[in-house]
Amino acid sequence: MAFSGPVLLKRIPNDPQQRKLLRYADYVATGGYASLKKAWGMPAEDIIKLVVDSGLRGRGGAGFPCGTKWTFLPKESFPRYLAVNFDESEPGTFKDRYLSDYDPHVLLEGIAIAGYANKISTSYIYIRGEYHKQAKILEEALLEAYANGIFGQKHPGTDIVHNCYVHRGAGAYICGEETGLLESLEGKRGWPRIKPPFPAVAGAFAKPTIINNVETLACLPYILEHGAAWFKSMGTPSSAGPKLFGVSGHVNRPGVYEDELGIKMSTLIDKYCGGVKGKYRAAIPGGVSMGILGTDQFDAQLDFDIGRKYNVLGLGTAGVIVMNDQTDLVVMLRNIVRFFAHESCGQCTPCREGTAWMHKMLSRIVAGYGTAKDFDLLLEVGLSMGSMPGTTICGLADGANWAVKTFLQKFPEDFKKRLKRDVVPGVTLTPAGAAV
Amino acid sequence: MAWILEDRLKPYQPVRSEPYLTAQIKDHVAGKYFPRYPNKRAALLPLFHVVMHEYGYIPTQAIDEAADFLGLTRSEVQDAVTFYEEFRLEPTGAYVVNVCRSIACELCGHKDVLAKIRDVFGIEPGETTDDHKITVFEVECLGACEQAPCALINEDLHGTINPGDFCATLKALPAKAAGGH
Ligand SMILES: Cc1cc2nc3c(=O)[nH]c(=O)nc-3n(C[C@H](O)[C@H](O)[C@H](O)COP(=O)(O)O)c2cc1C
Ligand code: SF4
Ligand code: FES
Repeated sequence: MAFSGPVLLKRIPNDPQQRKLLRYADYVATGGYASLKKAWGMPAEDIIKLVVDSGLRGRGGAGFPCGTKWTFLPKESFPRYLAVNFDESEPGTFKDRYLSDYDPHVLLEGIAIAGYANKISTSYIYIRGEYHKQAKILEEALLEAYANGIFGQKHPGTDIVHNCYVHRGAGAYICGEETGLLESLEGKRGWPRIKPPFPAVAGAFAKPTIINNVETLACLPYILEHGAAWFKSMGTPSSAGPKLFGVSGHVNRPGVYEDELGIKMSTLIDKYCGGVKGKYRAAIPGGVSMGILGTDQFDAQLDFDIGRKYNVLGLGTAGVIVMNDQTDLVVMLRNIVRFFAHESCGQCTPCREGTAWMHKMLSRIVAGYGTAKDFDLLLEVGLSMGSMPGTTICGLADGANWAVKTFLQKFPEDFKKRLKRDVVPGVTLTPAGAAV
Repeated sequence: MAWILEDRLKPYQPVRSEPYLTAQIKDHVAGKYFPRYPNKRAALLPLFHVVMHEYGYIPTQAIDEAADFLGLTRSEVQDAVTFYEEFRLEPTGAYVVNVCRSIACELCGHKDVLAKIRDVFGIEPGETTDDHKITVFEVECLGACEQAPCALINEDLHGTINPGDFCATLKALPAKAAGGH
């Protein structure tokens, strides 16, 4: 493991006063677009192989190997699209925003490299609607990139002209799910699609499509520049490379920080965030879909094996939300479940109904009317929903499942002490049943 | 009740004679967005962003006009538009304040922000002040959790909010927002 200084954040100073938006000229002056020029001199297959060898895994939540995903494109099937996932709506996640607030061109260079390697005709940057400022920054950066021949030209050695556009979403978390995103891009409601067919075969406009997260693409210029071995020298064997961590909640200096994958959460918080505000109690490792880390898991290693090792869903977006010992975890779980209930697209019954029920149950518990059976009932409803139990189309319901499950498993007493036996206003339970 | 059709067929807002999708809007969308996609339907979101910007909400009539413009049925357009929370179907105040209510903001006191807004302006989430200046909504994570609690005033993000200062900022805003919505 060797992380000797920021990679993705190398152009963004630590001191907030000194941070500024890098224009095309600033970016080029600090070595920008050299990797693209280098890529243009290489056969496309070699770039794909390089990305496979680097071990780069998707930074959008699922951690799928990036190069491998690219190899799923059917040969000689055109046009091909690239959809850049800049929906970033998972509570606790703001790394992609931070990166393009200051360094939008690194994303554009990544898009240009991925575009060339995969012979893409059009790249769409799907950015969430609330990111007004970032959409404008990207539009301006794109104008500069077009003016300098990065886009709007044929990929060298081909007849394929590569265009790149910003496409704004309009306030729907589910449009971050890759097929929900594609539906939304096509001008429909963002309802995730049943797979197969997978997007690599029939994605946007029923054509082969790659979907990658902003940070995943932003890694490409550096992999081109320094090579696969360098990239792998950071992180762990299964989780290569540097990573952006967005830390929020009860820490002294919340923000986006970069270190290598595999860093201990405690180190991240103490080294970069000025420590926990108050006494650590629990944390969410990567956006609210991932579940919660317990009080004894403060030292959890943040990498793609976190799920297996610490009983959470995974690393997710690496948006760490820290909670101190003054936090009411029942209220926090209600907040999370309300989010899922609100953002469920409504296609699958277990997700649409289940999240709404769980929200009602948790509201009841918070209000002091929880009954003893609510604990088991919450678990039962939670565990039954998700693409992994096989009852829903997409992973939103798995997020709700894992949040509920891990909160209840790791902090049962917080819930149980709120559950009163036999307390329903106006109703007294007798051994024979309820009597009013 | 699905068999009572009249109510649903009545336009639920007065229809005005001049179109909401002006020639200027249509030219803008056709020129800028149609070439970006293999079909016109994909320009639906960009089109309604323009409508929102122009009118601050999406009048029903604009949905009908968009259907003609994009070569879709009215139900196809309605189906898509009603899905997206940013596309408001009712007029709002000149300033829309979207206060984040998700986890990091709840941890850092978003309730105090809403309470202060209630004290100062007398409005709850979903309501508009009597002078039509401010409408407040609660929304999910704005992707600025390191600045919790945070809120958008129209397009501008305000982070690490002090409720008192935030309401003072709102009070000081001119009655009409500059540059549309
Ligand atoms: C409900 C849901 C929401 C998601 N939201 C996002 C998101 O906002 N941004 C993102 O990059 N990926 C998101 N994903 C993951 C994407 O589906 C997809 O895995 C990812 O964009 C692929 O890019 P990557 O391989 O570069 O990570 C979401 C997944 C689900 C199930
Ligand atoms: S799991 Fe939920 S969000 Fe995903 S498709 Fe089904 S209903 Fe929609
Ligand atoms: S939780 Fe409020 S901005 Fe993310």
